[in-house]
Amino acid sequence: MSGAPGPAADPLPAADLLTVERVTCQFGGVTAVNEVSFAVGRGELFGLIGPNGAGKTTLFNLITGLTAPSGGHLRYRGEDITGLPPHRVAKRGIARTFQNVRLFGELSALDNVMIARHVRTHSGLVSGVLGLGPARREEHETRERATALLALVGLADRPEERARNFAYGDQRRLEIARALALEPELLLLDEPAAGMNAGEKRALSELIRSVRARLSLTILLIEHYVPLVMNLCDRIAVLNFGQLIALGPPALVQKHPAVVEAYLGDGA
Amino acid sequence: MNRTFLLQQVLNGLAIGSVYAIFALGYTLIFSVLRIINFTHGAIFTIGAYTTYALTGSQFGINGLLAGAALPFGFPFVLALLGGSLVAALCGVIVERLAFRPLRARGADPLLTLVSSLGVAVALVNITQYLFGAEPYSYPDPLQGLPSAINFGTAAAPVLVRTVQVVIFAVSMVMLVLLTYLMNATRTGKALRAVAEDMTTSSLLGIDTDRLVLLTFVISGFLGGVTGTLIGLSVGVAGPYFGIAFGLKGLAVIVLGGLGDIPGAVVGGLVIGLAEAFVPAQYIAYREAVPFALLFVVLLVRPQGLLGRAQVQKV
Amino acid sequence: MATFLATYDFLLVSMVLAAVLALTLYLPLMAGQLSVASPGFYALGGYIAAIMSTKIFPPGPGLYPVSLVLLEMAVAAVVSGVLGLAVGLPALRLRGIFLALATIAFVQILGVVALNLNVTGGAIGIFGIPQPFSSALQYMWLAVPLLVVSMLFVARLERTRTGRALVALREDELAAAAMGIDPTYHKVLAFTTSAVLAGAVGAVSAHFINTWNSRQGTFDTSVNLMAFVLVGGSRTFVGPVVGGLVLTALPEALRGIAGVAGLPEWLAAFLRDGRLIIFGVLIAIGTVFFPQGLITPGLLRRLVRRRARPG
Repeated sequence: MSGAPGPAADPLPAADLLTVERVTCQFGGVTAVNEVSFAVGRGELFGLIGPNGAGKTTLFNLITGLTAPSGGHLRYRGEDITGLPPHRVAKRGIARTFQNVRLFGELSALDNVMIARHVRTHSGLVSGVLGLGPARREEHETRERATALLALVGLADRPEERARNFAYGDQRRLEIARALALEPELLLLDEPAAGMNAGEKRALSELIRSVRARLSLTILLIEHYVPLVMNLCDRIAVLNFGQLIALGPPALVQKHPAVVEAYLGDGA
Repeated sequence: MNRTFLLQQVLNGLAIGSVYAIFALGYTLIFSVLRIINFTHGAIFTIGAYTTYALTGSQFGINGLLAGAALPFGFPFVLALLGGSLVAALCGVIVERLAFRPLRARGADPLLTLVSSLGVAVALVNITQYLFGAEPYSYPDPLQGLPSAINFGTAAAPVLVRTVQVVIFAVSMVMLVLLTYLMNATRTGKALRAVAEDMTTSSLLGIDTDRLVLLTFVISGFLGGVTGTLIGLSVGVAGPYFGIAFGLKGLAVIVLGGLGDIPGAVVGGLVIGLAEAFVPAQYIAYREAVPFALLFVVLLVRPQGLLGRAQVQKV
Repeated sequence: MATFLATYDFLLVSMVLAAVLALTLYLPLMAGQLSVASPGFYALGGYIAAIMSTKIFPPGPGLYPVSLVLLEMAVAAVVSGVLGLAVGLPALRLRGIFLALATIAFVQILGVVALNLNVTGGAIGIFGIPQPFSSALQYMWLAVPLLVVSMLFVARLERTRTGRALVALREDELAAAAMGIDPTYHKVLAFTTSAVLAGAVGAVSAHFINTWNSRQGTFDTSVNLMAFVLVGGSRTFVGPVVGGLVLTALPEALRGIAGVAGLPEWLAAFLRDGRLIIFGVLIAIGTVFFPQGLITPGLLRRLVRRRARPG
């Protein structure tokens, strides 16, 4: 695990960036996530797989604060972030994309990315409206960074196009650009390859690798397309019915009996 | 506290509350099936009251386009009540077809439907005012022969409630029982609940959702019209804008009871009626603010209302 | 021209003030919040001005000083802002219909309170509010700057970090929060700014209308504002302004048509008094046929492009 140190030297005892500690989530009578524990190391590309309804997206929602866990703890850079609201989690450096793309459809691609610069900028209402010097410079910088991010994901040609007009695969890349605008340390990608053809999947794979290297990111990836996960990820966690049934490098996980059973059922 | 006084206030509260309850039943029924707040319920209330008035052969006053108009015949009160309420139901259906159906077909936000219903309600009430003016009217008394008040206390310490209010309370209880029976024990009720859960799936399962929505509006409109007439009977018809006032107060009632909850509508109505009755004498001027203060507090503290279940938000 | 202005002076100022009030509905709407609370702050602002000018500042000879009117506007703005914050902080945790209902309740409660306090004159209200100008048209000196400043404010807002945050919340509150935008902070910000503006308009209006009572700033006002925004346009600040101007002028224009000889009496009466009927119907039609209003960002873009191309 490489690990370029974070923005400031921080006294993390281990190299773990994210620790999921016996996290449980119950809705009414359903236990969506059941005492799941694992840790993600700095700079890892960590995969999360499992059959539909296994609780993967719920786990993402728990980590990012969209849902509060009914039990357990979540630690990020050593800090307990359990129960923090989403905007505070984002501010601490965790960004995500959504399973069903949640772009700001009516807004332009550039606006979508610029909006996500919010936590890394400071101009308030008054200075913004008055157009004071620092606010103007910040506005300019926001625009430039957003444009650069669009170029990074290959969407530099249509910055003013409304997000909802983009093809599905491009929307997913736009969502990644938007998430990157937060300057996160931890990036959560929820099925980023869904709806993509083989060529797009390859390009996405490349994008994830290059983004991780260039921006020193730690990435947590939910994906159904198994070859992508096996190729990209350093380690994989497998969920089934809300429980962690396997954890380890791709080669080992692939052969794990519980994993095989989960995917193929135990009719075999 | 004086037991007689307490009993009197409680009965007053129940009397006021039962009118709110009948109104709220129709209001909440639409929410329970369609998840929308139909503010035109207040306008339907007005239309019911005015139509009943017309059907009793009574004459309209000196304001409005139809000043001095009167039907050349007059029905006995109960028939006029039925007729007025049926007309109200019909108006509800027309509003549904013209204003709500297009929005539903588009899957529009319930907020947009609320806004639309506000516009329609204001338009209808003002049309009524344009036609009939804003003077107060009262119905010819249908309860001749009955004592004007019933004594729930003793001869020495009387606790009087007007007979008409007892009748209204009885009507509200009957309506509650009928509606609950409809929703829980009949096939139609089951279908209505299915539509409330998921309209698309219900329709795919062969349920005639269109007819059921129609039925909902018929029942709701009928109840609205009945309330309008009953209130008119109880305190007189105080101008078309009374429907707007009721529509606003009704919001407090149905939220307090739990949006879409049928027994909740009655509970909410009675609670607000009692709250209004128990306002201390020196604050009587602020009585009109009580339902809205309750509404505000309930929204902040327990938006699902007294009888509603907490909403789980799915991400 | 002079006779036109003299005849319609009251109307013209009313149109401008209505346009500013329309913006008070637009501000929370930018963040996706339907709040009909501004009539309440409008009423409050008016009462503050009325009380200050009739009870606090001694009446003098001649016109009431404009500087005092500005002071009243400032006080009204601040008090409305504080109340807006106090009400907004708890209320804006509510979403959608629940928020709309809470704001409806707020306006109703304020109305009942205003009707019953001595200082607000009870049911009669306050009348004989001193005039800073000798003619109605001169109120434009207050109304037009108010409109221009609020339009500039909102126009600039749409291009700043805060404005983007509001729009993101409108588009998708969940995603916006996941992108680091604090929903409650921004919603309260929009709500409070709206309250401040509504209070200021109320203060001017109290002088303009000369009397102030609980019939100002009611549920009917909410319906008017909704008509302005729904018909004018809810996605750009130009929409509510145009909606406010046009729909305030509309009843007057209809009244003019009603004066045309030969119209049947029922139609003439309708054109004269049917303002709320027309607004109500417009709202209903608007939600079905043009929910974004007549002036959409798309329309504005096309108009700008056409102007940019040489003819």
